[in-house]
Amino acid sequence: MNKQRWETRPLEIWGKAKELRAQWQRSINEAAERPGAMLAHGNTGEFDWSIGFDDLTVIEDNPVGAMMASKSDAFSRKCRLASEVRGWGREICGYVQNCWGSQFLGYEMDDGAFPFRDMSIPFPDPCDQHLKRGQQCMDLSPIPRWGADYPMYLGPLDPKREQAFIDHTVYCYLQIIDDIERIFDHKFDDEKMIGSLNILPALREQALRISRLMTHTPAPIGQKELYSFYTLGLLTKVDPKETLDFWTSFADEVQWRVDNHIAAVATERFRWMEAHPSPWNFLKYFRYMEKYGAVCIGSQYSHIISGPIELGEDGQFHHIQRKKPPEGQEIRTREDAFRHIFTEARGYRFKDDEYCRKWTITDFAKGFHVDGAIMPLWRGGVGCTLTRKEQGLRLSEMGVHVLHYEGSQPGDRTDLDERRFLDQLDTWMESLGLEKLEA
Amino acid sequence: MKTFKEILENRHAYAKSWKAKTGRKVLGFYDTYFPEEVAYAAGLMPVRILAEHEADDVTDRLMYGNCYCTRDMLNQFARGRYDYIDGLVSIESCQWWYNAFDTTLIMFPDLFSHYLFTPDYLDARTSKDVMRSELSVFAERLEEWLGTKITDEKLDDAINVYNKNRALLRRIYELRRFDTPVILGSETMEIMLANQVMDKAEANVMLESLLSDIEKREPYQDCVRLMLLGSETYDVSLERLVESLGANVVVDELDNGTGCIANDVIPLKDRLMAIGLRYLGKPHSALKDSIWRRRQERIFQLYEDWQADGVIIAKQIYCHPHGTDMYAVWKLLRERNIPYITFERDTTLPQEETRLAVEGLISQIEPGRTRIAGWSRSGAKTG
Repeated sequence: MNKQRWETRPLEIWGKAKELRAQWQRSINEAAERPGAMLAHGNTGEFDWSIGFDDLTVIEDNPVGAMMASKSDAFSRKCRLASEVRGWGREICGYVQNCWGSQFLGYEMDDGAFPFRDMSIPFPDPCDQHLKRGQQCMDLSPIPRWGADYPMYLGPLDPKREQAFIDHTVYCYLQIIDDIERIFDHKFDDEKMIGSLNILPALREQALRISRLMTHTPAPIGQKELYSFYTLGLLTKVDPKETLDFWTSFADEVQWRVDNHIAAVATERFRWMEAHPSPWNFLKYFRYMEKYGAVCIGSQYSHIISGPIELGEDGQFHHIQRKKPPEGQEIRTREDAFRHIFTEARGYRFKDDEYCRKWTITDFAKGFHVDGAIMPLWRGGVGCTLTRKEQGLRLSEMGVHVLHYEGSQPGDRTDLDERRFLDQLDTWMESLGLEKLEA
Repeated sequence: MKTFKEILENRHAYAKSWKAKTGRKVLGFYDTYFPEEVAYAAGLMPVRILAEHEADDVTDRLMYGNCYCTRDMLNQFARGRYDYIDGLVSIESCQWWYNAFDTTLIMFPDLFSHYLFTPDYLDARTSKDVMRSELSVFAERLEEWLGTKITDEKLDDAINVYNKNRALLRRIYELRRFDTPVILGSETMEIMLANQVMDKAEANVMLESLLSDIEKREPYQDCVRLMLLGSETYDVSLERLVESLGANVVVDELDNGTGCIANDVIPLKDRLMAIGLRYLGKPHSALKDSIWRRRQERIFQLYEDWQADGVIIAKQIYCHPHGTDMYAVWKLLRERNIPYITFERDTTLPQEETRLAVEGLISQIEPGRTRIAGWSRSGAKTG
């Protein structure tokens, strides 16, 4: 009884996305092998290091660990075992266990040598696990290392606190660049970095176009498409121009789908949202939900690529703009550029919504017209779980049907009972009066 | 005279009576990185929120994956045990603590509250400035709330009281270095925990008196000397269990043990900077030890200085800061051939399971064998 209501078809941009992702993967391996090239562990979300240092590749363990969980259960289990015998237990993030487990083993999923890091740059993040995760590559050998903070406060905007926090963050980054120049004898290209400052806002414009288009019924794409692309330009950095071109083409294609009523799910009749990452080893539940005509329109987490957004009175998502220094003046120096980068709208950074703007979870549900929410409860990796129960209650109060399921962590399948999870989905859908449209 | 044990067991009554006696307010806090001196200078009594062993039918609706201590802290508030608390402060620290703070405020939105950012990156040049700035913002908020002025004189007084308090507690720890200590691990931890929920001026008077009595005590029997590592502790059941098996916890590397008494505020003209430097410079907690590993060196130093024979690592279930550091701690203990056991605990201690594990550890240890050559227990008195 397949009640198809709209046409559906695969995205044409797929091939390009795969190419970019492969390019990123190659850059890691090349950086580990090419003489003079530098490979660092660190945060890539806020600043693209490779723009200033063209021979520096920075990688996070998130995409590495997530990819392992998704691609090879056997290998990621081996990595986690290597981690567990060294003392890490169930509360540790699966990304950490996978990525650094591979370092403990000394080889990767494809049997190639583990690309050892030349330095560890900061990973400031609200999640405690991110904060600590640079230590594993430091333990292996005495590589240069630096720190930084992710300062936060609650309550109304306070210029005094803002100033102190920005000064601190900018100083930390300037010191790192000075040190890398000195230690590795690589010159930082200030001009290129300053010139690239408009890339991220431009990318966010395109991503916001996509977020807005996803509020349409039928949703032109769903979470599983978004998940395929959302790290490009954020955690997986490739050529900035190519990345921007990709997002522009992607947004154009999504616009075309909306104009022509091309749906992510041909039978869409139920829209649901998520919170935080899915189990990367078990993404088939998105397709399973499609059997009920249910489409996932994403999460605050997967729409992060749009940057700081909020729901306006017109029912649309808008960017939050903040006056950035040096106001009305040209950005001339490295310091100007960093002040510009780190003067981000407080409350609108990654995960700030869990601390400062708690109502945004309900705004998100409202803006995307969702009927239900599937909220994972992850036992490991504190940042993936904090406030999830509260968020579920807020959504329930506004009439959104909420389902929680339990597991270890998106990168660790140990505690996720897949059969039980699918049973939960059946029970949930049936309790809402929805039967499967296809077997 | 009241004992520390009595105060710990009746801490809510103690705080209520302090409020009635002084007419002042009580400020709750979670982490030992909280700069108590500033609150004390404002006339508040800072009280550390401790977990209890009470049935919890409240927090499951609001929390998931938290360590049971933080769940119980919320449970305690929900049950009205902390109805005397006037304000609550959280700092940049463990996210579970933040979660307990945040969710408590959802239940009790009228409490005075403040989030104080203490840098995770303790060693940057600007960490001092950002900490100083945060202390100044905090002081201003307290002044506004209480309608009082935090003067240099009041800060000096608070610094003196807290420095003295830490010095007295260090003397208690020193007594545990003896070959045959005059104070047990359980007694020390009772003092440490009670001290965290008391007016420090009163605690100082009690500590001075206790020290003069305790130094005259007959030493306890020679026994296996153990060191305690891991998540913060909220009771002394583990220490008592160890003692019942013929061993003694002689030293710890807990954040609310040696971690909170190791260094003092060094007077500076800028009092807030001085206080900030003390907290940035205190022994790193598992979470804040995020760049250079300093915990391992300190653990080994304490182990050597207190001549321990073995180590117990007691981690709260879902304590991610200590879980993450476990790798480095195991590595240290394995490399140095130090006997150790690791187990996870809830708010309550699984007695039989833990007894078996500790017995196993004790049976591994032959006292003296892992010590520096030449050290001897001979001549020890028995208690």
